[in-house]
Amino acid sequence: MVACAAFVGCNDDFPGKPNPADRPLPQNEITDFATLFAQNCTGCHGADGELGPAPPLNDPLFLALIPDETLHAVIRDGRPGTPMPAFAAERGGTLSTEQVKIIAAGLKSHWPADKTEEVSDAAIVADAPPYLSSATILQLTPGATDQASTLFERACAECHSPNGAGGETGYASGGAINDRAFLALISDQALRRIIITGRHDLGMPNYAAPDGRPEDFKPLTSAEIDELVALLASWRRGDAAAGDAGK
Amino acid sequence: MNAPLPSSGKQLCPGGKPPRRAFFRLLTGALGAAATGLLTLPMLGYFFGRRHRPAMWVPMGDLSDFPLNETRTINFDNPLRQPWDGMTSMTGVHVRYQGKNDAGDEQFLVLAANCAHLGCPVSWFPQSGLFMCPCHGGVYYENGERASGPPPRGLFHCVWRVKEGKLEIEAPHYPTLHDTLTESLES
Amino acid sequence: MYQLLRKLAHWIDARAGVSATLWPMMRHPVPRSIDGPMGWWYVFGSASMTFLLIQILTGIGLSMVYVPAADQAYESLLYLDYQQPWGWFLRSLHYYAGSGMVVMLLVHMTQVFLQGSYKYPRELTWVVGVLLLACTMGMFFTGQILRWDTDAYWGLAVGASMAGRVPVLGPEIVHTLLGGDIIGASSLSRFFALHVFIIPGALLTFLGIHLWLVLRCGISAPPKPGEIVDPKTYDATYHEELKRGVPFFGDALLKDIFFSALAVTIVVVIAAVVGPKGPTEPPDPTLAGANPRPEWPFLWLFGLLSLSPPAIETFIMLVFPVLVLGALFFVPFVSNRGERAPSRRPAAVLLVIVIYTTLGVLTYEGVQAPWSPVMDAWSGDPVPVNLVEGRTPLELQGAAVFQFKNCRNCHALEGIGGRRGPDLTTIGASLTRDQLITQISNGTPGGGNMPAYGKQMSPAEMEATVAFLISLRPDGQLPAGAVEDAPVEGTTPQPVELTE
Repeated sequence: MVACAAFVGCNDDFPGKPNPADRPLPQNEITDFATLFAQNCTGCHGADGELGPAPPLNDPLFLALIPDETLHAVIRDGRPGTPMPAFAAERGGTLSTEQVKIIAAGLKSHWPADKTEEVSDAAIVADAPPYLSSATILQLTPGATDQASTLFERACAECHSPNGAGGETGYASGGAINDRAFLALISDQALRRIIITGRHDLGMPNYAAPDGRPEDFKPLTSAEIDELVALLASWRRGDAAAGDAGK
Repeated sequence: MNAPLPSSGKQLCPGGKPPRRAFFRLLTGALGAAATGLLTLPMLGYFFGRRHRPAMWVPMGDLSDFPLNETRTINFDNPLRQPWDGMTSMTGVHVRYQGKNDAGDEQFLVLAANCAHLGCPVSWFPQSGLFMCPCHGGVYYENGERASGPPPRGLFHCVWRVKEGKLEIEAPHYPTLHDTLTESLES
Repeated sequence: MYQLLRKLAHWIDARAGVSATLWPMMRHPVPRSIDGPMGWWYVFGSASMTFLLIQILTGIGLSMVYVPAADQAYESLLYLDYQQPWGWFLRSLHYYAGSGMVVMLLVHMTQVFLQGSYKYPRELTWVVGVLLLACTMGMFFTGQILRWDTDAYWGLAVGASMAGRVPVLGPEIVHTLLGGDIIGASSLSRFFALHVFIIPGALLTFLGIHLWLVLRCGISAPPKPGEIVDPKTYDATYHEELKRGVPFFGDALLKDIFFSALAVTIVVVIAAVVGPKGPTEPPDPTLAGANPRPEWPFLWLFGLLSLSPPAIETFIMLVFPVLVLGALFFVPFVSNRGERAPSRRPAAVLLVIVIYTTLGVLTYEGVQAPWSPVMDAWSGDPVPVNLVEGRTPLELQGAAVFQFKNCRNCHALEGIGGRRGPDLTTIGASLTRDQLITQISNGTPGGGNMPAYGKQMSPAEMEATVAFLISLRPDGQLPAGAVEDAPVEGTTPQPVELTE
């Protein structure tokens, strides 16, 4: 009798009893970074923020360099000139202001610090060129083109071949980067980022790594990166110089 | 039973006074019919009647909220609601500013979120410029025209107007194939 | 005390005539063979009724807490699930006993059909049985609406859109169904009235008639091959058989009770272990990510609708259910005499096999729903790593464009993503560059399944996407249309010269 009363009471802990924690949340109320990341970012940036077609986010160098406001703005507004879309609802995306903030903040803290081992030491982060270029207009004077080409040859040609047409000369095939369709789909800032951080997930060295570069290679400076970006931009426009380089 | 009236009357009343009973039967029938009618008509009115309300206009936002040729999803509380509708009366529409026409008037495209196929909610994908429906894969272009899949027509257009620098739309009912939001405009 | 109760019972019985009317009904004779092993075929109808009893009990219980108002229904469901003691269990049991009722009805009907029990003189019993099935399906649909969540809202929207396709009267029907201009409080109240008053009223009425007919016409004897039903002689033969019969309220009923008890036990265990269904997200129609799916008894219809060409869709929505119902009604009038044994009626057996296979396949398709795009595949399904590694910058950018342009919502890569269109994991081996560009630009000719992307993509985006797609080939395989002896280096696909 007592057992029966206890049973009728509140002892209804069966496997089928729903747990309030499992309640399905409306899409706009999700505040868990991992869930938001999985739903919105992994398509292009990869399941763990790397090895996707888009540049890796699980990249300590990138996360150390990019200013918080810039990261937040890129998620909110997208990156014009690249396939990175705006995610904020007020910009035509699907995420609330709050959710954009959660992703931006979460990216910086999500991946544990021991990943930094991949970037050999903290000095690389400390000495890295700033994420954003200080130059306002990237335009190569005719004389500078040769200088930039020389720089390209030292820093990039081992994998991408001297004119950026790609090839298999190095230990890794970098593929063509003088392709105008490719260049039309990547912005100058995105090029700068890739040159600085490389793609550790796909074997592209960062601005300082000596892999596949001449022995006297020195880490690229911010100005040198500007030059390289300007060279690539001239190829994108199809300047005469690019035509030469492309041949 | 179904025996003819006069004969049964005659059997019951050999004295020959059938009209009274016949009249009473007629009266009962008539009163019964009247009572049924009196009962039925208001009931029919209750179940099938429509409540007529004047058109209600819902503000969508300032004109400056809508960049040229971009689609924005606007959610609002539909004034066609009942007071106890709760969140159910929330309604989404897709608004696209299309610039000015030759006469200098602002041109908007306001599309209902309900798929023209079976009413499921279409989502806007700005990257590919397409609306997609999660149910049966209906796809529409940015101008609301059908792109592919089972929908028999494009998305439903809402009636809109510009008043005092604000975009307003007429509160939309649930649109279906034979009951669109703008019969006069679309037919 | 006992004497007093006896006296009271006699007093009531003398006035109500229970023992004079009901007792003979309970003791009505049934054919003797039902008392044997063949009797196990006769337990499904009573099991359906037992489930109906559970539905009434749990339904009344739920109605004491549930609020049929649009702004509070969802909250009251959460209260039932998380606060009310055993509330979750009642919701769960109501769902699974309802499902069990549908299953038992179908088994019962199949048994009656296969053993020819619907033939003379039980045609009307069958017809009323079909009405009972229709009512039960109606209960299932309206019950889903009362679970006032996202699925309920959009389920109602789909139902209203189907009704809206009726010529001329469509708008009026929709308005009546919804009880107003939009889906809202009046709609929920209407479905509450349907689920709690109207359909149960009809159901119980039909059930009363069904039972009366079972009593009146008697329970059919298990069929024997060669025993022909002939309306001229059947009644006399059956009457003879009943003389050797056994009373229903006796051992024959024991099997029913045993089976019903077993069925109830199973359902209670399922309810306790699996738990209540839903509610899913709250019924806010502006929430992104809605993905409405019908309840399981309707999945076959969902599948049929989705697989049928759009041209005959309206027919399937509006006319087909009427035809199905009509066909069921006509079963006993098409064949109300002749053999009853399944072994002598191969056409009937074949029909049952075909119908259940079709329903099974359509239900499977309805569960899989390959026609539904995966709305967040473009942002949430990663490009498989081995399709990323070894790609050129252009191909990588093409892969990003492929995601960005939502291609993934309909096209899977290595099985992940939408399945509305073909999986593109090896597309580079089957379509040439020109074919790919044509396909992407124009979509499916005549406005089929794929939208035309021609205006939605810049030349560079097209270039990059096609480069990526061409690179999607099994190791070492040439691009479609490539010359056989062209050099193939390495094991990974090499960049294809795209820029002339």
